[in-house]
Amino acid sequence: MINDKLSYKLVRIIKAAAAAAAVPVFIIYVIIAKPDYAIMNGLAHIVLPVAHGIGSVITWPIRAVGQSADWVRETSQLRAENKALRVKLDEALANKYSCDIAILENQKLENEINIKRASPYKTVIADIQFDDSVFHHNNFLINRGKKDGLTKGMIVVSFDNRMVGTITDCGSQFCRVRALADADTNIAIRISGSDISGFLHGNGKSKASIGFFNDTQFVGRKGLKVMTSNISGVLPSGIYIGDMLDEKNVDILRPNNISRVMVLQYNDIGSYK
Amino acid sequence: MYKIVAILKQFMPFLITLFLWRLAIYFWNPAGVLCLIPVFYYTFVRPIKNFALFGLLFCFLVDYRCDLALFWTCLYCLFYAINGFQKYIDFQHTGNNAMYMFMAFIGIGFFLLTIYGFSWMNFVNNLWLFIWMSVLYTPITAIDNWATS
Repeated sequence: MINDKLSYKLVRIIKAAAAAAAVPVFIIYVIIAKPDYAIMNGLAHIVLPVAHGIGSVITWPIRAVGQSADWVRETSQLRAENKALRVKLDEALANKYSCDIAILENQKLENEINIKRASPYKTVIADIQFDDSVFHHNNFLINRGKKDGLTKGMIVVSFDNRMVGTITDCGSQFCRVRALADADTNIAIRISGSDISGFLHGNGKSKASIGFFNDTQFVGRKGLKVMTSNISGVLPSGIYIGDMLDEKNVDILRPNNISRVMVLQYNDIGSYK
Repeated sequence: MYKIVAILKQFMPFLITLFLWRLAIYFWNPAGVLCLIPVFYYTFVRPIKNFALFGLLFCFLVDYRCDLALFWTCLYCLFYAINGFQKYIDFQHTGNNAMYMFMAFIGIGFFLLTIYGFSWMNFVNNLWLFIWMSVLYTPITAIDNWATS
């Protein structure tokens, strides 16, 4: 009995010591492996799909009820949505011809001054599986991965071609995307229709902040359109981000407002890697 | 039949953790953080054999989805070490299923995450999550008790 008690105590202390030893190991790993975290992400690529699969089996009744409720809600909203969309379609058709002419004029001017624009040669459509916006981070998982040709660094946009985020990690059948609202987001931007460049960083809110403009005299104002810039060589230029709300803030698209996205794959000319 | 029930009871803590993690939903259970409740409960309050590694794995999964680089994993290990090295604070014999200990566990985590990337929005979100998880701790542990007893 005494031996049992002693061995129990010993095992408890050994386990506690192992846990205590793991903490500095983890911290050192996080410091050393930043920003790739190859081992950690590799482990997640195996564990996450397995846990997700088993979890899907045991939670299906609840998810089925939730999906049915969503379906009923969406169906009841369809009539009103259809009406609103018809109005938008009429407005869009009214502007279509002037837009077509502007695009052609733009292409002609680009050819004349020899601008080569990065344009996606392929888009991959993906569903948002989970919106994991919590703490100061704003990530979400999409249901497409390496098998679909996606890699780290690709741009994720909404169906109206508005930037949503960039892929930060890619498993074989899923990708983790860092949304624009994430506190780690820091991307080069340009004010549309001008040469003014700067940087945009997220702060967990539905509006991101911009600053560090190349023109110190520039003062932002409501309504200016913000798009990506290629000045840092990381992102392709010309992807619409959002409108400015005031001097510093930009209205950005958050993943909780959408359910499906497109991932842009660029050709070699427009490569941004 | 009894055997099936016994096996189910044995696996119930693992299933509940997986269940809460998988039912992740924006605002109410972002990144499946509610799974930290059974992870804490079955590691410290009603320890189950081989559950600690499982708990570690789910802390890791929450970290991965939040892009937090082993934050909850480290905190979990730290609490595991503290719990193992001393008997002064005995998680198993604290009242209310060690609810205050759980609040300390997530409170420390949320506090550090709040000061790391401080913004008022982040502060309010973390406060909400802290209150929500503290409120849910009692019913979830009661369900756990009922399911495994």
